[in-house]
Amino acid sequence: MTDRPAAEREPGSYRDPSGFVFRRDGVLYRQINHSFADDWATFDVSGLHSALVKEGVLVADAPVSLDLAPEPGAVAVIKPEAIEFVTHPFEWSFSQLKDAALLTLRAQSMAGACGMTLRDASAYNVQFKDGKPILIDTLSFERASADQPWKPYRQFCENFLAPLALMARRDGRLGQLLRTWVDGVPLDLASELLPRSSRYFAPGLAAHIHLHARGQRQLSGDSGPNPAAAPRAVTMSENRRLALLDHLERTVEGLHLPAHGTVWADYADQTSYSATGTASKEAIVRRMTEAVAADGGKVAWDVGANTGRYSAIAADAGFWVLALDIDWAAVERHYLALKASGEKRIMPFLADIAEPSPGIGWGNVERASLIDRSNADVVIGLALVHHLAIGRNVPLPMISNLMARLSPHLILEWIPKADPMVQKLLAAREDIFSDYTPDGFRAAFSRDFEIVEETPIEDSGRILFRMQRLG
Amino acid sequence: MHLVFLYIDPGAGSLVIQAIIAGLVSIPFFFRNAIRKTFGRFQRKPDDGAAVATGSSVSEDKGAASTDPE
Repeated sequence: MTDRPAAEREPGSYRDPSGFVFRRDGVLYRQINHSFADDWATFDVSGLHSALVKEGVLVADAPVSLDLAPEPGAVAVIKPEAIEFVTHPFEWSFSQLKDAALLTLRAQSMAGACGMTLRDASAYNVQFKDGKPILIDTLSFERASADQPWKPYRQFCENFLAPLALMARRDGRLGQLLRTWVDGVPLDLASELLPRSSRYFAPGLAAHIHLHARGQRQLSGDSGPNPAAAPRAVTMSENRRLALLDHLERTVEGLHLPAHGTVWADYADQTSYSATGTASKEAIVRRMTEAVAADGGKVAWDVGANTGRYSAIAADAGFWVLALDIDWAAVERHYLALKASGEKRIMPFLADIAEPSPGIGWGNVERASLIDRSNADVVIGLALVHHLAIGRNVPLPMISNLMARLSPHLILEWIPKADPMVQKLLAAREDIFSDYTPDGFRAAFSRDFEIVEETPIEDSGRILFRMQRLG
Repeated sequence: MHLVFLYIDPGAGSLVIQAIIAGLVSIPFFFRNAIRKTFGRFQRKPDDGAAVATGSSVSEDKGAASTDPE
């Protein structure tokens, strides 16, 4: 169409006729269509747009030339501030999802005060920036009419309340249901899975999940394909709408995880090696991360970060750190600690490197897989390889190959078979891992990497390797 | 059975149930606000807000209406 770099529509941006997100030359833009012109104008004139940005509720944006619009019908094009790394709601711990839910309600409350309303409440509209949740969908706001119900009510319950309630009242792992149901956990399923007591002794859950699920079944005409049975034009006074939103907020705020950790979340406090070993490991990791930073590294993936002891060292070396862990309780503890300290350079999230988040949604590309989102300049894998090689039976060359796909630099810890932690993994199974030796490790990784340095950790048989991808 | 399920729009039921739930919760909401309006002005002091450190980003915007007694 023009001699500009071609525009590529973001794969997740296809549902909304009022606009869409696209990239030119890697830069993210958003086109706003004529059909949404009045709402867009009100969004600005009412002061809501600037207030949301000022309060850090909505990602900042700048208007750019209309010529950048890739499709006809544009009324404006904006360039939103970039989010360093996109995480998906099923990769968040309980408190991350809870904070995202409260942010959504806060956005609604601010919109309501300006005569506008949120028109959707998808958890995917929230991302984390500088350690805090922030709305990224600038087109989520429309003019409110006086008597309308809160449109995204159902979406809010399915995207936020149901998974939060299941995590708090049933099991922290149930946030993973959002991976199967991209549009939110079906309320009849949530109602089925929640403990019976939540029907009677938790008014918020009784109303917004159990009664809501029943209502969906009984009031949506499931007695047969009879469109006349479906009710239309529900109205609701503003006071009632405010009461509903207030009640939702109380319900979300009232949800808490039971106060017990998992084996992993306690792990950092009870490692198998001595204080000398710990100090030595910290010093070496510090030196190695500084070396990679000096080489121009910006983003570190701390894979198996646990509660983030070494993520903090990487952050101090100048990295923006993604702290991945397989255990939701570790991610939860890490997030809460970072939130309390105001740390902005580390983003913890739930991920299993042996079974990374797949691409999901339409065409398997609507929400990108973990590997496709890789932006690491260095992967730090401390006490990781034995879990993959022995715990998950992944041959060492395959581990090397995956690491080479993820990152040009690598800081890896080698833990020998004699180490008590490896012995634990081997305790209940046959040792079929004859290649699991320092030489086997060096040989496997030398196919993809050059070993730049290796330093033994004092007072333990462990070795830290720093490597650089070949070619 | 399942064919029927595919044609149900749970959104329709959600709207009706939302109105019912909003009706129910608006009663305590109304009384809470009335009590706050009556007594709130005598209780609130400038320092009170600062004592609640966590979660302030969520509650500060809404002022008196959002602080939850739990």
